[in-house]
Amino acid sequence: MTHIGAIFWAQWRTLSHFYPRRGVAWSAVVSLIWYGLWSVVAIAMLRVFSNPAQIPTIRIALPGGLLLMFLYWQVVPLMLATTGSSLDLRKLRAYPIPDSQLFSIEVLLRVTAGIEMVLVLIGITIGALMNPALGKWSLLSTAVYVTFNLIIAVGLRDTLARLLARKRIRELVFFFLIMAAALPQLLMARRGVVSPQLHLLVARDAWEGWPWTAAANMILRIRILPSLAILSAWTLGALVFSRWQFSRTLAFDADAANAGSSQPSRRSWWIEWFYRLPSTLLKDPLGVLIEKEFRFLMRSPRFRLVFLMGFTFGLVLWLPMVFVPRGPLGEFFVQNYLTVVCVYSLMLMSDVCFWNAFGFDRSAAQFYFLAPVSFRRVMTGKNLTGLFFLLLEIAMVTAVCVLLRMPLGFRRLSEAYGVAAVVMIFLFSAGNLLSVRHARAVNPANSFRTGAAGRLQATLFAIYPVVFLPVMLAYLARYAFGSQTALFAVLAIDALVGIIVYRLSLDSAIQTADRTREAMIAALSAGDGPISD
Amino acid sequence: MVPPAIEIRDLRKVYGDKAAVDGLTLTVPQGCFFGFLGPNGAGKTTTIKMLMGLAPPTSGTIELLGLPMPDRSLDIKQQIGLVPDESMLFDHLTGGEFIEFVGRIYGLDRSTARARSDELLDLFELGHQPKKLIAEYSKGMRKRVAMAAALIHRPKLFLMDEPFEGVDAVGARLMKDILLDQVRHGATIFLTSHVLEVVERLCERVGIIHAGKLIAEGPMSEMRGAAETLEDAFVRALGMEHAAETLDWL
Repeated sequence: MTHIGAIFWAQWRTLSHFYPRRGVAWSAVVSLIWYGLWSVVAIAMLRVFSNPAQIPTIRIALPGGLLLMFLYWQVVPLMLATTGSSLDLRKLRAYPIPDSQLFSIEVLLRVTAGIEMVLVLIGITIGALMNPALGKWSLLSTAVYVTFNLIIAVGLRDTLARLLARKRIRELVFFFLIMAAALPQLLMARRGVVSPQLHLLVARDAWEGWPWTAAANMILRIRILPSLAILSAWTLGALVFSRWQFSRTLAFDADAANAGSSQPSRRSWWIEWFYRLPSTLLKDPLGVLIEKEFRFLMRSPRFRLVFLMGFTFGLVLWLPMVFVPRGPLGEFFVQNYLTVVCVYSLMLMSDVCFWNAFGFDRSAAQFYFLAPVSFRRVMTGKNLTGLFFLLLEIAMVTAVCVLLRMPLGFRRLSEAYGVAAVVMIFLFSAGNLLSVRHARAVNPANSFRTGAAGRLQATLFAIYPVVFLPVMLAYLARYAFGSQTALFAVLAIDALVGIIVYRLSLDSAIQTADRTREAMIAALSAGDGPISD
Repeated sequence: MVPPAIEIRDLRKVYGDKAAVDGLTLTVPQGCFFGFLGPNGAGKTTTIKMLMGLAPPTSGTIELLGLPMPDRSLDIKQQIGLVPDESMLFDHLTGGEFIEFVGRIYGLDRSTARARSDELLDLFELGHQPKKLIAEYSKGMRKRVAMAAALIHRPKLFLMDEPFEGVDAVGARLMKDILLDQVRHGATIFLTSHVLEVVERLCERVGIIHAGKLIAEGPMSEMRGAAETLEDAFVRALGMEHAAETLDWL
């Protein structure tokens, strides 16, 4: 326990030093809104579960609801490329801390990946306790189900983290993972196609061997002891699996796993050609600045992962909407699928392309202030690199849509590209300002963690509506005038205004960087505590 | 019989098709001040990482203080003090907090860890800025705080990766005095360093590693031999005497 206490104490001290007062306030407001919303859901659950008249509905919905909670806890954090807090084992392995204690802390930290689900489960449990038809077993059921989720989350995260730490299979693993994660909603959207399988998973009379069914049965007072035995067995299995995976992670040597041949590979020539492309087309120093960005981003697992997600996960995520064309929303997605996916891909790429343009450079960013190159050139180089990869991403999205035989006419293509172009201009404008005002070191090798601090996330929360406002005006114009020309006319005006805004923001970013360079370099040079977000 | 502080047999660490450490066999007796030298990329840091338990060897055995690694890794870690790579420090703690944290991890109670932390801060002349974060420390200050943390539990064996890197003359002198004092009290020190003058002045025994292999090892007097300085002997052992003359344009 001494070690656990010391680690949590050090983390508390780290956080108290890390966030300045204003940052704490920002983070607190955002957290309050987010968890406030989930608290409302929890209270709604409490009301439903405490009402005896709702028992029939609860019987039908509870197994499926608990499955969704499981998925939210285990899969969604991975999809969002952030898995909550976890131990920084690189720094702790050298000290005499028993593996069992590290494992216990890691299990406790998994709460941070699913606090929302804990809130909802608390609501369900209190409601069930107040309901004479449900009762006391719900408390034990929730406790064991939460324990199961916490423990299995460690094993799944560790397995995935090690797989994603391997150079050659990282992207492949992630590709299959997101496809697997998106499959249920795709199948559900194709109503009637897989109803027997879904029935087996989540229906009232679903297979009793599932952990969520067993937990639901305990709450519903159906075959309590067998259900408890099943849930306990799952938890025990999860413990064995996760301990095994955690031990393997402790012994994992990423350097050895990624060491390739010292001989140059056959594909080296075309990668080198690609890296050299900016220098071929542009004069130095811009050419070499962009070449450096190309090399850096392409070698960053985090960037490659996000780029892959843009044209795979982005597509799959929105695909079910196309399969449900009924109603105005369904029709909207059918008509604007490419536009939606393009914009979504831009948002996914934002973290690695423009919100924190110096994040991957970390302390090396000080070179830009030392080198005989104007900061404007540096920012322009970063923006042109971002632009190149965003355009490449959109091209990939289009290519996949063509392969999937999605309906793509000239109108849809031009609309999607026009909207994406306008959004990009405004995103770059905001990104330049944020990159110098909220610079934060990001580990390019870490596939999971986001680069955005709480304060930055709060700022983004406010910026996105502003960035999308011009595009919304264009769609409003089309709606008002009933004409596609009106949309393109407003988009053209948006683009002109955007270029002016971009130039102003670039000037402002350069002045800010000049004024706050010391703080910026300090922020980019900072490291982590024993537990990282 | 007292077991050696470090006993490495046929240690190998292979990355892909390249051996970073290739069949290293080395014995460091207890109470010895041992300098582990080598050019950049020779395998020094990989070796020290394996000794610290941060990287598993591909093959070979390691025994520290008579205990096998990794089987008894917890017992071993409890008895060693580390001055690791700078990246192992927790940047958003103050120096005092970091030293206290390490003390508590090594099992000291909170009040003892805090008291020793304060004393070590004063000893290493870091106490005048108690609220300064490690992230704001200079390189030399980071090394000082790492060394202070390594001392807090009075270890028997110190593993130090470039402990004098970036440390000013006063700080280096202080660190040298403390280390020599530790050796006088029976501790063993295994350090890597590029500062050969320091190694020459402090170490009783020296090992030179090159391309993953131990190319020379022995007492300082033997290593130096007829050469004027350790640097001369080191450069000669590596066969790099005339390397600077290879570029015409320079």
